[in-house]
Amino acid sequence: MPNTNGDAIPLRPFGRHNVSISALGFGGHHLGDALDEGTAVRMVREAVDGGITFFDNCWEYHLGKSEAWMGAGLKGVRDRVFLMTKVCTHGRDKGLALRMLEESLRRLRTDHLDLWQVHGMGFENDPDLFIRKNGAAEALEQAKKEGKVRFVGFTGHKDPSVHLRMLATGFPFDSVQMPLNPFDSQFHSFEQRVLPELNRRDIAALGMKPICGHGDPVLKGILTAEEALRYAMSLPVTTTITGIDKPEILQQTLKVAQGFQPMPAPAMQSLRDRCRQSAADGRFELYKLSLKFDNPEARLAHRFPIDMQQAEVKEMLKMTENSGHPYPPAK
Amino acid sequence: MLGAAGSGAQGQSGGEVPKRPLGRTGLQVSALGIGGYHLGSAKSDAEANQIINEALDAGVNFFDNAWEYHQGLSEERLGRALKGKRDRAVVMTKVCTHGRDKNAAMRQIEESLTRLQTDHLDLWQIHEVIYENDPDLIFAPNGAAEALLQARQQGKVRFLGFTGHKDPSIHLKMLSHNFPFDTVQMPLNCLDATFRSFETNVLPEVNRRGMAALGMKSLGGSGELVREGAVVATMGLRYAMSLPVAVTISGIDSLDVLHQNLEVARNFHPLSAAEMQAVRDACRFEAADGHLELFKTTKKYDGDIGREMHGFPSAAELPV
Repeated sequence: MPNTNGDAIPLRPFGRHNVSISALGFGGHHLGDALDEGTAVRMVREAVDGGITFFDNCWEYHLGKSEAWMGAGLKGVRDRVFLMTKVCTHGRDKGLALRMLEESLRRLRTDHLDLWQVHGMGFENDPDLFIRKNGAAEALEQAKKEGKVRFVGFTGHKDPSVHLRMLATGFPFDSVQMPLNPFDSQFHSFEQRVLPELNRRDIAALGMKPICGHGDPVLKGILTAEEALRYAMSLPVTTTITGIDKPEILQQTLKVAQGFQPMPAPAMQSLRDRCRQSAADGRFELYKLSLKFDNPEARLAHRFPIDMQQAEVKEMLKMTENSGHPYPPAK
Repeated sequence: MLGAAGSGAQGQSGGEVPKRPLGRTGLQVSALGIGGYHLGSAKSDAEANQIINEALDAGVNFFDNAWEYHQGLSEERLGRALKGKRDRAVVMTKVCTHGRDKNAAMRQIEESLTRLQTDHLDLWQIHEVIYENDPDLIFAPNGAAEALLQARQQGKVRFLGFTGHKDPSIHLKMLSHNFPFDTVQMPLNCLDATFRSFETNVLPEVNRRGMAALGMKSLGGSGELVREGAVVATMGLRYAMSLPVAVTISGIDSLDVLHQNLEVARNFHPLSAAEMQAVRDACRFEAADGHLELFKTTKKYDGDIGREMHGFPSAAELPV
């Protein structure tokens, strides 16, 4: 596999399946923050050439822009990657999920997904709403049967107990995504409570938010982005999904991932110790304690307040500005 | 412990608000208390003054407050209204160290006493114990717990407690220190009963220890339960007041709200166990994701001083 420094990004087995994916995954949300479509397309191509095979996305990221730009970037190289996107029912029904799937496939310019995950399981009744009759679980089964998706999973950043209740539904998930970083390891911890359970069940564990989402602890100088990413990639996960919104971030990230060697256990512990004090009240894990990282789709479906300052709320308003069009767009 | 019909002087529109023992303090407090935050939200000093005086005349004697409410306005309004009537009231306020040390707490009590125009508090509580490391910070050497004991020893406060609206497990962590708290304040409403429940997890433990339980957020903090149709206001308040608590603290920012709540509180009769279960069941769906108990699930009710002390974005930067 071609890359810049001669070492490949390691591939790891995807759970119990005979498929391997790159130990680093390209996060879809930040792709929509790129300067423009041309930049996004170039970054996707460079990532593929650099050995990244796992691409993350989501129906609701930037109201479809993230999927559209990734689809453009993957044109001609779709078969070299393992493509994931997420469905955003947030408790709503199967019919809606299947309509979202068609939109995602069209934007991503493909006839199938390698992985389709239920997005944002975080509110306490999400597991009940997922598994209910005519809920999103039925959409996952149907899409798999129709060959539109190969594997299915779920994601969430809020609360390990919600993840455990999702697992307790008994639904045959192939993957589970969660925030994993040195702060998480000691506060409402997915690393302690969810990751071992996934490993035990041979479900592919996908890490995200290695630098806590927007990198606040890096900006505060508590640790470097490289340390945080290396920590997350050293956990027993299949891949670590990281946000890449600029070409220089891509190069930094590739440098860590190519020829990656896991951190020794004592180094991981010393990083945890360094983060202990500021981990204790969750100040750098706002996704666990506030609505900051909850998409307006999720908030509205659960009737939580939206935040007019949130980028995606502004995008929603812009979409309908002076157009006479309602949000969500009529089918 | 459940309320009985009030005794004593009859008000113009019914009986007095009943009194209940405040744990083992020997004090008797009205089953309805006036929340201090909303006194600062009332549209004028005059209206706040009238709320307090009408409440006193109806037999309400429990007044809540906090050093940080409205930069002191809430305490000032209560102090002015109680001038000459201080002995008719059980005055509580809260100290807002949010992890800072004993000296910060002792400076705050002097300010609170000045604003409240009194030489002592009946109850001084640690405010907003909502961050997971708050119990560690409060009980650290030279922490707020030491200030509570010192203020009591100096006769500046009679009784001690703490409050918080976030997570029952944080309340239990506070109790595990076996500090001699006289009171514990917590959100109690018909949705709390089935979601991250203080009613289930904390209230029995507080009563077992003989401490007085103080309920708050009977309608969700800003009337969310009523606005979204989970329960009507009078039933929401009746539910909270029917729990084994000493007092239910209610935010009252207008005379209209006071009159509505006094209707419920005068000659208060608790709901039966079956009636309470029916209310809980009717709210179960609305309770299930916490979207009406935003103080548990979002940052909305977390004050700016606490956020700053804990390194969180301000309310302007992160409203929810």
